[in-house]
Amino acid sequence: MFATDDTIVAIATPPGPGGIGIVRLSGPRASEIAAAILSGPGNLEPRRATLTHALEPSRQRSIDRVLATYFPRPRSYTGEDVVEISGHGSPVVLRRIVESATAAGARLAEPGEFTFRAFLQGRMDLVQAEAIHDLVTAVTPRQARVAFDQLEGTATAAICAVEDALFNVVARLEASLDFPEEGYHFVDAKAAGVEVAELADRVRRLIASSRQGRLIREGCQVAVAGKPNVGKSSLFNVLCGVQRTIVANTAGTTRDLVTETIHLAGIPVTLVDTAGIRATSDAVEAEGVSRARGAVEAASAVVVVVDRSRVLDQDDRVLLRQTEGRSRLVVANKRDLPTAWSAEEQLEVGSGSPLVETCLIDGSSADTIREALLGLLEGKAPGRDPPAISNARHIGLLTSAETALRRAAAAAEGGATEELLLVDLEEARRALEEVTGKRTPDAVLERIFERFCIGK
Amino acid sequence: MARGFDVIVVGAGHAGVEAARAAARMGCSVGLCTLSEATVAHMPCNPAIGGTAKGHLVREIDALGGLMGEAIDATGIQFKLLNRSRGPAVRSPRAQADKRRYGAWVAAALRREAGIAWIFGRVGRLVERGGVVAGVELEAGSGAAAGERLHARAVVVTTGTFLNGLVHVGDRRTPAGRAGEPPSHLLAESLKGLGLSWGRLKTGTPPRLDRRSIDFSRFEKALGDEEPVPFSFLTPTIDRPQIVCHQLHTTEQVHEMVQANIARSPLYNGRIEGIGPRYCPSLEDKVMRFPHHERHHVFLEPEGLDVDEVYVNGCSMSLPAEVQEALVHALPGLEDAVMMRPGYAVEYDFVQPTSLARSYEAREVKGLFLAGQVNGTSGYEEAAGQGIIAGINAARAVAGEDPFVLGRDEAYLGVLADDLTTRGCLEPYRMFTSRAEYRLFLRIDNADLRLTERGREVGLVGDRRWARFENRRSRFERNLRRVSGTTVTLRNGRRARASQALRRPDTMLDELTSGGGLRLEVGSGEEQVDVCSVETHFKYAGYLERQAATIDRGRRMEGRRIPRAFSYAGVPGLSLEIVERLSAVQPETLGQALRVPGVTPAAVALIGAKVGGK
Ligand SMILES: Cc1cc2nc3c(=O)[nH]c(=O)nc-3n(C[C@H](O)[C@H](O)[C@H](O)COP(=O)(O)OP(=O)(O)OC[C@H]3O[C@@H](n4cnc5c(N)ncnc54)[C@H](O)[C@@H]3O)c2cc1C
Ligand SMILES: Nc1nc2c(ncn2[C@@H]2O[C@H](COP(=O)(O)OP(=O)(O)O)[C@@H](O)[C@H]2O)c(=O)[nH]1
Ligand SMILES: [Mg+2]
Repeated sequence: MFATDDTIVAIATPPGPGGIGIVRLSGPRASEIAAAILSGPGNLEPRRATLTHALEPSRQRSIDRVLATYFPRPRSYTGEDVVEISGHGSPVVLRRIVESATAAGARLAEPGEFTFRAFLQGRMDLVQAEAIHDLVTAVTPRQARVAFDQLEGTATAAICAVEDALFNVVARLEASLDFPEEGYHFVDAKAAGVEVAELADRVRRLIASSRQGRLIREGCQVAVAGKPNVGKSSLFNVLCGVQRTIVANTAGTTRDLVTETIHLAGIPVTLVDTAGIRATSDAVEAEGVSRARGAVEAASAVVVVVDRSRVLDQDDRVLLRQTEGRSRLVVANKRDLPTAWSAEEQLEVGSGSPLVETCLIDGSSADTIREALLGLLEGKAPGRDPPAISNARHIGLLTSAETALRRAAAAAEGGATEELLLVDLEEARRALEEVTGKRTPDAVLERIFERFCIGK
Repeated sequence: MARGFDVIVVGAGHAGVEAARAAARMGCSVGLCTLSEATVAHMPCNPAIGGTAKGHLVREIDALGGLMGEAIDATGIQFKLLNRSRGPAVRSPRAQADKRRYGAWVAAALRREAGIAWIFGRVGRLVERGGVVAGVELEAGSGAAAGERLHARAVVVTTGTFLNGLVHVGDRRTPAGRAGEPPSHLLAESLKGLGLSWGRLKTGTPPRLDRRSIDFSRFEKALGDEEPVPFSFLTPTIDRPQIVCHQLHTTEQVHEMVQANIARSPLYNGRIEGIGPRYCPSLEDKVMRFPHHERHHVFLEPEGLDVDEVYVNGCSMSLPAEVQEALVHALPGLEDAVMMRPGYAVEYDFVQPTSLARSYEAREVKGLFLAGQVNGTSGYEEAAGQGIIAGINAARAVAGEDPFVLGRDEAYLGVLADDLTTRGCLEPYRMFTSRAEYRLFLRIDNADLRLTERGREVGLVGDRRWARFENRRSRFERNLRRVSGTTVTLRNGRRARASQALRRPDTMLDELTSGGGLRLEVGSGEEQVDVCSVETHFKYAGYLERQAATIDRGRRMEGRRIPRAFSYAGVPGLSLEIVERLSAVQPETLGQALRVPGVTPAAVALIGAKVGGK
């Protein structure tokens, strides 16, 4: 873990030249160190941008004309004393300001350390802290959007809403146990079970939305599979927009895996071009085939390419069967040539997954394929995305919350009494609270007293 | 020469009597100072013992060798097991007491203790030298032994609502510990000089009516159980005839009268500063805070077999006496009732229990223990539960032994001590089952299995109780083996292991013993406890295992001790607010630190890194 009692410094804006760049100091000595590296006038006035010069350690020469702002704790990004120095964006200039600060006693911050301090000081919850990390490292605009939503608390709000509803059930069940003689009808265990089952569904939906969130955050792998010579490499190249792999008329040309990451509507997608999958006696090709199978197994989605100008054979059928039930797109290629398939064969190929017909000698089918692939990856709900939970830790916790809720709902249906349901409901609550990193002792009693007139 | 004792207990309320007896039983000479012989173990409010979670406390006090369980079994006049329709973990006994007989029974029991000397008088000062208790000084002119100084190596203060107590009835304010009893000012000031932190709370009580003026035929009856479940593990059965209570309701007219007079209630016109309990709202609170309720319950409970006072449960208030009388007369059926005493509110100073360790010893003054309502709690059972633990620890301190502390996973008594000392009181603290995160383990049927051995170890459990317990425990263990080893015939004719059959929600132990071919050993008069503890062991096995796993996870944190006088300011990264809170509470373990309000898991991780260990 980081030391947390010293003053840290780092360039706060992204690397690379830009209009302006910010150097941030945080910690108990931030203001003192700033005074040491700025030309004046003495101490900075809180929350006021001051035009001054950043000086070299010797204080003999100016590095840059800068705007410096002092944010005294606790109303700062980290909750500690913070000074932000905006200089002209050249990396060289910013690095020299940082060097000056370290010479004056600051320590170079580790990645994420500002955010860590902000979390420690209670300036943000865990979800927000993690979101800042994601926002800073976001590659695609949509990644940034999702991270930004989390920062703004959309994800937190969605989880809190479930937590709050759960909490209401818990409070009423607890009240039934602790105030059995009030003549109040708080809730009976069976009815609570029904509410709990609905909550489990809500958590399920959050997890489902999280699949999408995770897709955006971590991206996914798509394997392109098919017999040799059906047009896999052509498809790969069309999607990548560059000539990455050799397209050749000789079957078995692509022997190893070729990968390339493209961005499909903001989702990073790693495409894997594979060797053709077919029965073979050639040792080198056989190795390629087995790698191809591995890639197909590991991928989160598969594109199966079939050549519709040739009759459907055993190799095609085996591959189609093997990938059945997977998240799959079937591409019937070489639409420019006459089809060799009967109506039944056409149906056979198209059953069970989306099918697109393409011509891959040029880029004319590119959009069709992109759209079909995106539909496949995002599932059925494109358009305005629900709050996405995009962090593996959150998904794990939400999943245990759902499991506990389902267990409680089942127990209630089986006639279990309140105190038993509450064992599972408390477990679910703990998991949800762990997502947001908050804990509230006595909260249940608070809730009971605020809503019910209890006591004789 | 001044008299001296090992332990002096100040106050003979529910906390004081348990503390005095525990210390005496553990071999200490005890001086029990109290204001009057007539108010020993007095019940100034509802004449009832037990209730949800409170009944658990009484069972635990009894299992450790305390008084309260036997006292109520001997003097209860209506018994009821609450939450009967629910599982064994949340069933709690409650009983109406004959309030005079209860106090007399306890006083007689204490008089039989050779180690206890009674001192009637008002303690005015705690004598302390260099952070160590040396004794107490009685107020000049009070009681029999005025001005006397008593030496002691440990002092247990259990003065309830008496410290700077102020009683309110309408506009009338009377300095008093309880209505008619003078307050303790000097002792309050003396204790305030010791560096403890303080707060002010409030509680209240309803008017009392003359039973001879009430026509009970007009009300619904409220009956007790046909077969009373005793509180004490030593009581085989209770076959005394039980009394009947009665129920009625408030009306819109009553609510309107309260609203019309609200400016005359010290609760609402700003004259009361102390904070009252939300779980025990006054009639004013009920009407003002929940205006959409058309009516509230009211119970009429006799205060004893041969007294005329009837307690009006549900109508605690501090309006002027004449308004109270008019309100009573507005209740349907009480038109002609004679009010013997008005209800009142009392404000009092209390010590913020975060100044104490879990042994109830003040952190800053060695040998000073505090227990009961003076620590911000409310309720007889909460007071008694602190009293017995404080008494044990006072005796251990005198003997130079380690504190006796029960865990949250061992007893409600452990939850009580931990909650009070880590969180403090923002309102009067009452026990609830929902405060116990390991509720399924902390049952009334196994209180003895959890605690009697602990009580024996500290020297509180006598031979008679111990012999009975040893029999009961070995019977329990044999019964477990029997259930595990017996195959039974179920109602549907199928055969199954008894232990498996019991896991089904609809299969109860008596079904297996009455027709299924299973035989259990039961002690005479102990059937309830025997059957329940065995049944629960199997019936809730799945849940118990899961809760046990949580306990294990928690133990790691509970086991990591924070050194005394640890400097939180020296932990990098802690916010100022967290440093302040932790410094005030001084938790003993990381587990406790995590329960201090406002302390985040991240902060505890930082402290853990500094404290070391794993
Ligand atoms: C008006 C009123 C209403 C209440 N309402 C409720 C309620 O609704 N629900 C509930 O759960 N609880 C209620 N209680 C609280 C309950 O009665 C107490 O919590 C419980 O009795 C406290 O026990 P204790 O041993 O701490 O103190 P107490 O029973 O108050 O005993 C204090 C003892 O200290 C003695 N004493 C005081 N000062 C001195 C001194 N200077 N020197 C020597 N002896 C001294 C007194 O004589 C007395 O024996 C109420 C109490 C009052 C007074
Ligand atoms: N007519 C026609 N030829 C195609 C089409 N797509 C690919 N080809 C040709 O098919 C051959 C094999 O293509 P390639 O992409 O290497 O197939 P792979 O072995 O599956 O990777 C090449 O000669 C391509 O030019 C198409 O849509 N129409
Ligand atoms: Mg190829």
